[in-house]
Amino acid sequence: MTIRILKPGLQTTIQAAPRTGLRHLGVPASGAADPLSMALANRLVGNGPFAPALEVTLTGMAFEAQLEVSLAVTGATAKCTINERAVPQHETLQVNAGDQVVIGTAEHGARSYIAFAGGLVASDILGSSSTYLPAGLGGHQGRALRRDDRLALDRPTCVAQPMRTPDEFKPPMLVSWTLRAGRSCETNLLLEPEKLYDRRFEIGDRSDRMGMKLEGQKFDIRSEGRMPSAPVFPGIVQCPEDGELFMLSVDAQTTGGYARVAKVIRADLHLLGQLRPGNRLTLIERTDAAAQVELLKKHAYWQAWLPDIAWVI
Amino acid sequence: MQSVGDDLIGVEVSSPRAAQSLADQLRAGAAWLEVVAGIDSVVVRYDTLNIDRDAARNLLKNAQRELQDVSEQQATLVEIPIVYGGDAGPDFATVCEQLQMSAEAFVALHTAGEYEVDMLGFTPGFAYIGGLDSKLRVPRLKEPRVRVAAGSVGIADGRTGLYALQGPGGWPLIGYTALPLFDAAAANPFILKAGMKIRFVVADRS
Repeated sequence: MTIRILKPGLQTTIQAAPRTGLRHLGVPASGAADPLSMALANRLVGNGPFAPALEVTLTGMAFEAQLEVSLAVTGATAKCTINERAVPQHETLQVNAGDQVVIGTAEHGARSYIAFAGGLVASDILGSSSTYLPAGLGGHQGRALRRDDRLALDRPTCVAQPMRTPDEFKPPMLVSWTLRAGRSCETNLLLEPEKLYDRRFEIGDRSDRMGMKLEGQKFDIRSEGRMPSAPVFPGIVQCPEDGELFMLSVDAQTTGGYARVAKVIRADLHLLGQLRPGNRLTLIERTDAAAQVELLKKHAYWQAWLPDIAWVI
Repeated sequence: MQSVGDDLIGVEVSSPRAAQSLADQLRAGAAWLEVVAGIDSVVVRYDTLNIDRDAARNLLKNAQRELQDVSEQQATLVEIPIVYGGDAGPDFATVCEQLQMSAEAFVALHTAGEYEVDMLGFTPGFAYIGGLDSKLRVPRLKEPRVRVAAGSVGIADGRTGLYALQGPGGWPLIGYTALPLFDAAAANPFILKAGMKIRFVVADRS
């Protein structure tokens, strides 16, 4: 019993939990670029927050259900239909064998998530079934989905009590975003580090699960492209020699040779997955101590709807 | 010791080998989500909900103090065949020009050296191989490439780098190796390990 891909869209992958503890071997995190939205979709169909689900990028996708199952769509806002009838996001939906589900082009935000009750079957490698495209790891044959792919469901079920995400727990999908960030170890190499904050950047076209270019501000940096390779993590903002910032995301490499000039705080990392080319971005400075306060605040807020929030954010 | 981010702390060390030793020791404890060694540093990521920053810093300080002498390891020697230049080494000519060296002189020098894997990182199986002759020192590319083919061999900053997989890359590419460096299906998918001895040989084109 499977779902059959009719239209794969720009890039649809299976994502689950991040890979942890293997960065020293060069293995990046992967997992949902916006793990909060994925957890919300899984919540609506009774799954744990990291049950393997589909991550749909920008252009939407379409599939045919070949069985009866509950599903839910969250994340980037998009018109969704079942057999050409409009259906809402953030609600438990029910499909039967032969039903066609279409996720339209993302209106706001970059990535939608489709969770199926019971979760998708995905290949588990190096501790996670998340797809990591550059190495062909995990997910469905380690690659983005193609037309006519058939995905098996783990234990397809129908949720007895359909649910809706309460309005106060629907993350807003925006055009202008604000991320809190703090110093990193080479911030002092910037001649004007104050230009990092409270200025407007634009997300560049070079934007994917590895990271994204921040355009609109150029930085002068004291270094000659000879930084010894050093560990990097999702949320780190690098400044290469050309002075244009690059912000690392979930599939980011594990070490790099460019100056690390800022890091998005842990509490805001989930937002990276929804930034799309052309979106505006402002960084706001937070000390490490203030970042911790923001994290505790966010966890306290989400606890009421997602009890596992500490695993997600 | 320095902050790398709100849940990241970095420690500077004197050599790649010291970085690997400290990282191994830290990894033996349960306190850290990630322990990643760089060339001259180690960075840990920790769960800020379970360990507060001061406690994390103290754990790191103790580990640094307890770090034993960094001893030479019993190392395997791996020969890596390289095709220099051509389509798969698009920066080879530029690098030779930068170094004011003929292609033959470059290859002779590069294959003469004895090398050691300083660390794995960047992407799965990417090996940073130390010991490059100081005459072969060139900087990274100013604008990194969005796609570098699997098997590419680059040099930068006194090291040779092997790209096990396709992906982005900022090192000038001098050639490629057909030796598979990462095998997702194998029980141990990483062919190279930090500490291994390496020799480069000119690949047999037949």
